[in-house]
Amino acid sequence: MSRRQLFWAGAFGSLLLSLLLNLSVGAGAIGPGTVFDAIFRFDPETYEHFVVLYQRVPRALIALQVGATMACAGAVLQGLTRNPLAAPATLGISAGATVAVLIGVYLFDLGMQAQGLSALAGGLLGFLCCLAVARLVARSRDPRGLTLILSGALVSMLLFGIANALLLSDPSRRTDFLAWVTGNINHFYADRLAMFWWIGALALLLLLILARPLTLITIGAEKAAAAGVNVPVVTGAALIAVAFAASSSVAICGPVAFIGLVVPHIVRPFVGGAFGLILPAAAVTGAVVCLLADLFARTAFAPYLLHTGLVMDLLGGAVFILIVKRRYLTARTRRPA
Amino acid sequence: MLEATDVTASYGDAPILHGLTTGFAAGRLTALIGPNGCGKSTFLKTVMGFMPQSTGSITLDGIPIETMGRRSLARRVAYLPQESYCPDYLALGELIELAGYARYSLLGGPSARDRQLFHDALDIVGLADLVHRPVSELSGGQRQRAWIAMVLAQDAELILMDEPVNHLDMKYQYAVLELIRDLTVRHGKTIVAVLHDLNLTAAFADDVVMLRDGRVEAAGPVRDTVTRANVERVFDFQADIFSHQGRLVCLPFGSSPAPAAE
Repeated sequence: MSRRQLFWAGAFGSLLLSLLLNLSVGAGAIGPGTVFDAIFRFDPETYEHFVVLYQRVPRALIALQVGATMACAGAVLQGLTRNPLAAPATLGISAGATVAVLIGVYLFDLGMQAQGLSALAGGLLGFLCCLAVARLVARSRDPRGLTLILSGALVSMLLFGIANALLLSDPSRRTDFLAWVTGNINHFYADRLAMFWWIGALALLLLLILARPLTLITIGAEKAAAAGVNVPVVTGAALIAVAFAASSSVAICGPVAFIGLVVPHIVRPFVGGAFGLILPAAAVTGAVVCLLADLFARTAFAPYLLHTGLVMDLLGGAVFILIVKRRYLTARTRRPA
Repeated sequence: MLEATDVTASYGDAPILHGLTTGFAAGRLTALIGPNGCGKSTFLKTVMGFMPQSTGSITLDGIPIETMGRRSLARRVAYLPQESYCPDYLALGELIELAGYARYSLLGGPSARDRQLFHDALDIVGLADLVHRPVSELSGGQRQRAWIAMVLAQDAELILMDEPVNHLDMKYQYAVLELIRDLTVRHGKTIVAVLHDLNLTAAFADDVVMLRDGRVEAAGPVRDTVTRANVERVFDFQADIFSHQGRLVCLPFGSSPAPAAE
């Protein structure tokens, strides 16, 4: 078996395993047989069936959605910007979507559907702000490197500041969004998943269709254009898809950070540099990471629950440091390409 | 096959090409030479449509290039930029497969003929054994040949190359240029290559187009065009040009006074 086949077997194996673990492990352990029954032969009288179908299944589905969309969004952003630190959370998309939802809720009393639209617009705006700041700072139309990441950090801090100010401004409703704002995989958000899941799914489908021209663009805009790619159209469509995918997942359960940053680095050594393989691999791996993070958040300090977003922040922070150390702080041992 | 008439192009306020007019014959290797900043690379970029501020007409077999879409242009013209970047982990085979993009349908991939073409392209540059190797792990010379293979795999009749032997040592410069000349001789390609070295130009090119300040100063077959007078006029630089064992040799004097002419 080649390294690549081994990876796919491992990825799908761990997806099934983590899904099963996620559904059966919890405050009360529920055997795989009962989980199966709850899904396929649901009995409303059985408490365990109820827990599985109305609490654990929604959580697992949210973890799948968030993991897949964020990981793919990060992979595309890292490829297009050629920046190993690019991700929805580092380029202002997550912060933009978060603050847009909170502005909608606290200032305009928007319903859930309108919050989703607001998140999409906010994510896109957050990303454009990050690009604008980076262009101003770098005095270049095509800023890359740490400038882009620092601009993203700046924009995100500013936007999260606004988000926190909004939360603090309304003590009576603060609790509704206090958990959401840190990124929280929870069955409360099942309605949001039901309403917004298709946005992420469509965006990922579009990215998959664009996989080949996107891979060409990672080699260089002129090279891609010379090979027949309409670079502005493909880049624009992909960035909008990325912003919408990430923002829709923020609209569901808040800004779960760092999946988009970490997962592409995990999968590339195994599946190579072509998006046709990176995207499915990132989707599966992102889902596994989210399922496991959710499991950890629920069980590690039981009976206390951690927010999955906090677990991801801890995990992602460590990986962020590793990447910065390897790519930016150590002498370059890699040959320039 | 490629005709440029009165082409101008500029970067912002800085004009680079000032009414450049020249033509490139099919099946030949034409070297584009001239001092730094004379517009060699800019001319290739203008042909590819990368210079938004350009005027004049560029036609390919009589068809204006600006009327051809990206995909149809890519089926006829391939371009190798000066600097090439390859993301980590992208395997040589994956890179070559991308070259056929202009022939694929939206969801389709390479046909059997494409696959044969890719194999042949790698074979020609001598990298067929390294299909699964990441491009970033290849040596400098191998990588340059990989980019040439990618250009070949695009299966275009006209290939534009911007300094294809830069960053290569002497041995690879000769190896790569031999390979490039072979593409015209054995595979019927038309190649326009920006070169810096007059000796390499003299050794490999059929024709030469000499640029200075965005205009064509001299053009024609190498032996008639690479002359002492032309080199001095174009490069502001004195050199002795003579034939040695049947090969044209360019021996620079720099700015010191030249010894008696041949």
